[in-house]
Amino acid sequence: MNNIIEIQNLSHQFENGTPGLKNINLEIQEGSFVVIAGQNGSGKTTLLRHLNGLLMPTNGSVRLAGVPVSKNLAWSRQMVGMVFQDADSQIVGETVYDDVAFGPENLCLDREEIERRVFRALETVGLIDYKNQRPHLLSGGEKRRLAIAGILAMEPRILVFDEPFSSLDYPGVKKILSQMISLHRAGHTILVAAHDLEKVIAHTDRLVIMKDGKVVRDGLPSQLFGELEAFGIREPCASRMGMEVYSWLK
Amino acid sequence: MAEVSALSFRPGNSLLHRMDVRFKIVFVILISLASLKARGLGLFMLTSVLMMGLIHAGLHLKSVLKPLRYVFFFLLFVFMARSLSVPGSSVIEFKSISVTREGLFDGAMVCWRWVVVIMTGLSLILTTRPSEIRAAVEWSLNPVPLIPGKRMATMMSLIVRFVPVIFEQAGETLAAQRARCVENRKNPVYRLKVFGIPLMRRIFERADKLALAMEARCYSENRTSPRLSSDVWDWLALLGVVGLCIITVL
Repeated sequence: MNNIIEIQNLSHQFENGTPGLKNINLEIQEGSFVVIAGQNGSGKTTLLRHLNGLLMPTNGSVRLAGVPVSKNLAWSRQMVGMVFQDADSQIVGETVYDDVAFGPENLCLDREEIERRVFRALETVGLIDYKNQRPHLLSGGEKRRLAIAGILAMEPRILVFDEPFSSLDYPGVKKILSQMISLHRAGHTILVAAHDLEKVIAHTDRLVIMKDGKVVRDGLPSQLFGELEAFGIREPCASRMGMEVYSWLK
Repeated sequence: MAEVSALSFRPGNSLLHRMDVRFKIVFVILISLASLKARGLGLFMLTSVLMMGLIHAGLHLKSVLKPLRYVFFFLLFVFMARSLSVPGSSVIEFKSISVTREGLFDGAMVCWRWVVVIMTGLSLILTTRPSEIRAAVEWSLNPVPLIPGKRMATMMSLIVRFVPVIFEQAGETLAAQRARCVENRKNPVYRLKVFGIPLMRRIFERADKLALAMEARCYSENRTSPRLSSDVWDWLALLGVVGLCIITVL
């Protein structure tokens, strides 16, 4: 498979001089499901925000399908759909329909195409019956699904989830997780930033561990379970008990 | 939160729902202006037509009256101020204060006009998608030189989007402070300071996150606008409203 994301010698320093990322090198294949794990402040979100040019590197480069992100920001943002940690602050529209249409409208698509994309995205996440609802009246899980619909309507190839399960109840986690799995099966490349691996790790094929702005481990999840706690990440419960890690959906 | 949303768009398929938003805005302006000149019979006609329109649109008046209760306090204040300040034949006298017959009549008329204006605004807000109102604002500002219509319209829609967020943040801040016995501090300046500063900080943080989320979804001023279209029913309705306004003013 092709590398859809190529990160070379990426470093980022915040305006106050704090280093955010230090010399990151990563290649991510198209269609893969990758978890980026690390403690709070390890640089996960900073790394993800370089993928669509919300942050620009101090040094190094990020390429999507061979094209530098900085070369065409609008294209990069269409290519990489990002679901933020706080779904509430991602919602722009006054109704569910308007919010999902926001991205396609920014892409200057015609009305028919916008409508087609909005309905398809809402059907995918199961929110079609809420299209006229005010977004702030939705539950936490529904808001996150709305955020997913908002980026699906832009038809991205890469989907990035920043702490997708934070402050969700069990049914909410299951819905978001099954959504992520079906999107992966549909061919999307999925990147998930998480500090708690328990809910998602059974479905991923690669685990990247970050600490202090650096990638400290990168490999198959099952091979890295034993090292997780050394980097401040809780080892999945089943693995601690010497069992095979199983899905939250079972 | 729920009260704020009670005064928002409600889906439907009535004549009011189907009308072109630009015509509806013109109706709001015309009826509001006519109510300033109208007297008893004219106001009765305007109220009756608006009431029928709202009921036809499938709106339960009771559900919008509760969130508007503070407006009725304002109307009561206006009524009392008028009845005490307009000179004329006295109905009730107490020391130097006197309530006049002309004042009572004048106060009732002013309040009635306010009610007509509020009902007109309600009939627009409750039957029109916010994105359509935004599109109409954009359309009406387009010919005005030096005013960026698209930017103004987006700002307006973001304000609408942010009102419930501000209420929510204010509610959370207040609850958190009550949990730490802020009510024991009697100094209003102190209480305003400890309430206002964190609230403003949280609102600005939310605004920052929203700006980032908009950027991630390729926001630009050059975007697809909602489609506005009028038909013969809109023109017939315009004729009807103009006729009604003329009759009520005469």
